[in-house]
Amino acid sequence: MTTVIPFGPQHPVLPEPVQLKLELDNDVVVGALPSLGYVHRGLEKFVDTKDYNQTLYICERICGICSAIHSITYARAVEQLMNVEIPERAEYLRVIWSELARVQSHLLWLGLFADGFGFESLFMECWKYREAVMDIMEMTTGNRVITSMCKVGGTSKDLSKEHINIILKAIDDLEPQVKNLEKVFVNNYTVKKRLVGLGTLPKQLAYDVGAVGPTLRGSGVHFDIRESPSWSIYKDLNFKAVVENDGDCYARTKVRIYELYECFKLIRNAISKLPEGEISIQIKGSPTAGAEAISRSEQPRGEVVYYVKGNGTKNLERLKIRTPTFANIPALLQMLPGIKLADVPVVVLTVDPCISCTER
Amino acid sequence: MLENNVEIKSSSELLKTVQELKNDGYRYATMICLKANDGHEFIYVLDKDYVLKTLRYFVKPSENPKSMSGIYLCALLIENEYQDLFGLVFEDLAIDFKGHLYLTPNSPKTPLA
Repeated sequence: MTTVIPFGPQHPVLPEPVQLKLELDNDVVVGALPSLGYVHRGLEKFVDTKDYNQTLYICERICGICSAIHSITYARAVEQLMNVEIPERAEYLRVIWSELARVQSHLLWLGLFADGFGFESLFMECWKYREAVMDIMEMTTGNRVITSMCKVGGTSKDLSKEHINIILKAIDDLEPQVKNLEKVFVNNYTVKKRLVGLGTLPKQLAYDVGAVGPTLRGSGVHFDIRESPSWSIYKDLNFKAVVENDGDCYARTKVRIYELYECFKLIRNAISKLPEGEISIQIKGSPTAGAEAISRSEQPRGEVVYYVKGNGTKNLERLKIRTPTFANIPALLQMLPGIKLADVPVVVLTVDPCISCTER
Repeated sequence: MLENNVEIKSSSELLKTVQELKNDGYRYATMICLKANDGHEFIYVLDKDYVLKTLRYFVKPSENPKSMSGIYLCALLIENEYQDLFGLVFEDLAIDFKGHLYLTPNSPKTPLA
């Protein structure tokens, strides 16, 4: 006989409200069903009344952690819709801020994850290092979380030589600290005991259920939108996707740890190649009626998809956003059956759930 | 117009095409729903090797669209979302939240319809 218990919506390991109805046979999960709707704000409806420039600031507020890449992906969709090419410097600046955002997001997640399996001091170390990135965000954009550095047509902020020197110094300091974190997350006996072989998602299943980001790459699938032809700038910056093959919680953790080094490399390379010039162009007019565009980016949690359609006015006919956690929920439901109730928080955390994104 | 766009005429053709694309290694990226001529227009977005293919299908006003969740399980969430937001009813949905994936009984009804 099975029992159904609620996991969430309020739970110590969940920063945001979501509920899983867990079907248990003794203390082993045999089924799970998500229950959403606690933070649904109807943002796709809300933008009906906003013009395409205002909509960018709404997209930016879908989520605090992935804010920067939301605005960039939206801006790229509208630029595609209006056949606009932005200045090269703006492309590089967007990459620098995107990768800084990924670093802070991964460090935030590593901290929450450590907290999830009861390693409080590790949690505090991760968040302490994250502060260095948050300080850079504040210094370069004026804000820690909602940076508003992006606009349709380029960026609204630039980096001075002084900013660049501070960023380079900060990531030079941060890299050895991440190496210390890596030693604990990857080599520590207790951490490995908690993660290895847990919540395994086989490669083919991960692909079939539409998983994205570290959840997909942790299962051995080589898929990172930064490698796609639409993001050719990343090829110039020598980007290589991080892939692990085991598909368990340990593999997903390693993907995020190793991605931090990739972020540092990308930031350094983008700074070394940062061209001089304008940071934005002025855009006039409105998207043509019936024109459509799809834009995709790699957020810290995986691929985000933006669809926009114009109607001949400043307002969009339709904005549709498919966020990474939305794509990872079916994968999570596949990971849970067969594990013990005590391991559910750890497995849930390894998809790095962002519920504000999911529900919009 | 989106690149690699295919117009689909019937629901049976849609199911067949989606199944063929899955067999060919495409992953389900998302599905977009638009209001169109009293009915709805669906755009299925599939990806293979970073190249998107889009399938466009017009759902007549009286038609209950077929769910893709039997082919791609991950389609169930977006289809439930459209049941909430557009008031659509999908046939053969793997898990049916019956219009309450996000919305509670006191929420506005079908806000995007």
